[in-house]
Amino acid sequence: MRRFGVLILCLISSVLTFAQNKYSDTTITVKTFELIDKKVSKHYKKTVIDSVSIHESQNLSEVIQNHSSVFIKDYGPSGLSSISFRGTGASHTQIQWNGVLLNSPMNGQIDFSLFPTVFYNNVELNHGATSLLDRNGALGGSVNIFSTPNFEKKYSGLVRQSVGSFGTFKTEVSTSYNTNGLLLENQVYTFTAQNDFEYKNSSKLNFPVEQQKNAEMVQYGVQQGIYKKLKSGWIGGRVWWFDSNRNLPSVLTKAYANEKQKDQSIRTVLEYQIFKNKFSLKASTGFVNDNLIYEDKSTKLFSKSKSYLIDNTINTMFNLNKKLNIINQFNLRFESANSSGFSETKKATHSSWLTGVVFEFDRTQFNAINRFLVVNNQVNALSPSFGGKHQILFKEKLFIKANVGINYHYPTLNDLYWNPGGNPMLKPEQSEMSDVGFNYSKSFQNHSVELDVLGFYNFVNNWILWTPTSSGYWLPANLKEVENKGFEAMLSTTSTYKKIKLSFNLNYAYTKSTNTKANSEFDNSLDKQLIYVPFHKLNTTATINFKNTSLFYNYSFTGSRYISTDNNWYMPEYFLHQIGVSQQIRWNKLAFIVNFKITNLLNQDYQAMAYRPMPGRNYLFSVSVKF
Amino acid sequence: MKSIQTYNIKSYTYRVKSIWVVCCISLLFSCKKTELGPQCISCDETPITNTTSSDVLILNEGNFGWSNASISIYNKESHSLHNNVFKNANNGVSLGDVAQSFLQIDDKGYIVVNNSGKIEVVNTNDFKSVATINGFNSPRFMLKINSQKAYVTDLYSSFIQIVNLQSNTIVGNIPTPGWTEQLVLLNDTAYVCDMKNNNILLINANNDQLIDSIKVGISPNSIVLDKNNQIWVLCSGGFSQENARLFQFNPSNRSVEKILTFSNINDSPNSLCASGNKDELFFINNHVYKVLISDTVIPATPIISTNGNIFYGLGIDPENNDIYVADAVDYVQNGIVFRYSSSGSLITYFTTGLIPSKFWFIH
Repeated sequence: MRRFGVLILCLISSVLTFAQNKYSDTTITVKTFELIDKKVSKHYKKTVIDSVSIHESQNLSEVIQNHSSVFIKDYGPSGLSSISFRGTGASHTQIQWNGVLLNSPMNGQIDFSLFPTVFYNNVELNHGATSLLDRNGALGGSVNIFSTPNFEKKYSGLVRQSVGSFGTFKTEVSTSYNTNGLLLENQVYTFTAQNDFEYKNSSKLNFPVEQQKNAEMVQYGVQQGIYKKLKSGWIGGRVWWFDSNRNLPSVLTKAYANEKQKDQSIRTVLEYQIFKNKFSLKASTGFVNDNLIYEDKSTKLFSKSKSYLIDNTINTMFNLNKKLNIINQFNLRFESANSSGFSETKKATHSSWLTGVVFEFDRTQFNAINRFLVVNNQVNALSPSFGGKHQILFKEKLFIKANVGINYHYPTLNDLYWNPGGNPMLKPEQSEMSDVGFNYSKSFQNHSVELDVLGFYNFVNNWILWTPTSSGYWLPANLKEVENKGFEAMLSTTSTYKKIKLSFNLNYAYTKSTNTKANSEFDNSLDKQLIYVPFHKLNTTATINFKNTSLFYNYSFTGSRYISTDNNWYMPEYFLHQIGVSQQIRWNKLAFIVNFKITNLLNQDYQAMAYRPMPGRNYLFSVSVKF
Repeated sequence: MKSIQTYNIKSYTYRVKSIWVVCCISLLFSCKKTELGPQCISCDETPITNTTSSDVLILNEGNFGWSNASISIYNKESHSLHNNVFKNANNGVSLGDVAQSFLQIDDKGYIVVNNSGKIEVVNTNDFKSVATINGFNSPRFMLKINSQKAYVTDLYSSFIQIVNLQSNTIVGNIPTPGWTEQLVLLNDTAYVCDMKNNNILLINANNDQLIDSIKVGISPNSIVLDKNNQIWVLCSGGFSQENARLFQFNPSNRSVEKILTFSNINDSPNSLCASGNKDELFFINNHVYKVLISDTVIPATPIISTNGNIFYGLGIDPENNDIYVADAVDYVQNGIVFRYSSSGSLITYFTTGLIPSKFWFIH
């Protein structure tokens, strides 16, 4: 602990001295319409990840692991991967793809290892109350992945082949063609890996080195988009088809593993965005079909589940006058799922209407909104939120900001109907969310710096927990009350000297997440940290660009996590280093790029989740052609 | 003098600075190699020396896939308690998960570890592992047939495995319709709970042949013998599919003698145990109940009330009929074991490992 504090101090002080004399415009802002979410969300906490960092990673899980302060529950290569914001659970994290909420209607979760990075250009993490503008239900936060149609170029393309350790082969193709404002784009992706890495088996005497078994994986995907530019907006849509087949490695204490899983998804979205003087509108309708087939040959377990969802959203904003905007959002979502765990096809309907006002003064911005919810015919008229920011100094971009809100997460179809155990009487989980902090940014000449520090406090009521019963099956109940508090800090700097561009990025989160309700007098979990919530998560990336060469160094630290609710057992902390270099060679209109990346540079043995081994030092080499 | 002091301060600050630099660099590049995998903050680390017949074994299931099953030994005379007995006796090697059941045969203990698909064979005096029987799918319960062989039931395979107790290997199997659970032996016949088809399977223990099956209620989860060699089968009724029932089965004419039906459809009783002289039966139905073998109805009032705890496992000391009840609390922290006298008054309680569920009274 103390060691870590020292480390933080060192890093911050070294960065601050560095920051004093350099820095220019830093954030890679996405050129998009100044729409509701963009406009209002200025005073909320967002982590925006640039497209270079996105495409350097294998999947969304890795993007988030390396570029944010959010903790990933990573079961290792070929295993599942879920994320946890501010001490909340996996189903409290939402993921939106071009405005469509993708979380499984069944368990409310999403596997972040199933999102190849070639399929989107933007990743934004909305921490805490930020997500309230998009949806209700993200008690921790949400992840938005999206692609913005680029009408500026006539045609563009990228072909990349990567080869890496443990039998990794990846091919990515991305092309786009634009004629008279009609844009066609296409991405193709294939990935195979053996994942037969060696690890130290911590469950055996003297930690013998063993080889990971049953972790092979194959993924394919195609995405096709078509967009038409309009006079003041655009219309279009895309289709995402993805197929993943993987063997699931077991815990390292188990002698054999025979589990495998197939995930198949078809996702389509139609989008319409229009922006006029005083009015803007963004509408989307999504259709998603997810199939999951799980098989365990040794236990002869076979389960198949199929879910469908239709997700419609309309966002509007009226500019009443210079100072006052009115926002409205309508959302209608149908869910349906069929599984061997259900007696019949189960359905749910979620609808909501968000309405609010946004005031804009010279140095102050303030918004007040309410969301009116109707979920499965239950009406919930009040989930308000308020937020604002104020520029403290006239000449400096120093803002203070604060947000409060109430958020509801409704039980999923599994919670309600799983047979056995499902409990139709469950109440929605409720979170009172708040945060307060400041943002400071400054640019001068070739340098820029941005610092964002935010303290948060959330209180989650009626947290749904599945627990085993003496009758041999699991039952969900509104069991827990949880208090989450902590702070998140972000520091980002860039500076340019002639042809050299330096950038540095740091994200840190301190999370104290405690259980505030004891279920019996012998319950030792009262006031203890929740399991798998690290107190500390930090990562930093430094990048140097010189002419056509770039070099990055990424360092991430994940603090120890308790794994028992009485806080008697924990998983040790781990540090990961990653280094990458890329060289671009231009030839006529073509650019050839060679990348080389070393992950877990110091070959650290670690486990993010108990008894799930992670690979040691590994390499990835890739060659791309771009036009 | 003064200059020396200044010099010292300077060199001191210089040293402090260099320590900081070294410290920063070493921190950045350090990686702890000592800690890998789950670590315990406060765990019992003293190995058990010699168990006695006043020791009670508590089997802590551990979480599915978390490899944290463990064994606790409680001495009912001295009230001393040892946790993590297996790990401490075996150089810190974990038992696996989920510890399903325990059987003592002479001075050997057989720990059936369900999800790990194995049976650990230990010496019951010091709990050092002497063998591991591998090759199971999802083993549940073990029954000694004779000094040569034992049967092991299974959750997911359609077999009862036959284990050779001398070689500690699987030597054969008996085809079954599916999930088999608890089992008892009487006069060369094994009586096995068939959870899949809600039967009691009768197996000839001499030639390992299935000879008959008798229909009982839904989910026959536990089976015991009474002093009159009658077989009692507790059926939970599934997930409120039918009322739970307690069957008295007469093996001599293979007929059901008596059925005690639970009044509430939501009752889901389990963990049927017999007292020392086998004339009383105990079970958990939220609370702990006692029923005499001569009773004709399920008693309305429990002998031990939960008092807000969640009873997950039950054991009856054959010596004095003391009642041991396990509370798994929230299933992700160390559980509690309550010890009551035969009349149901609390004697003591203590903290064990994760998810205590089964008891064995070492003899």
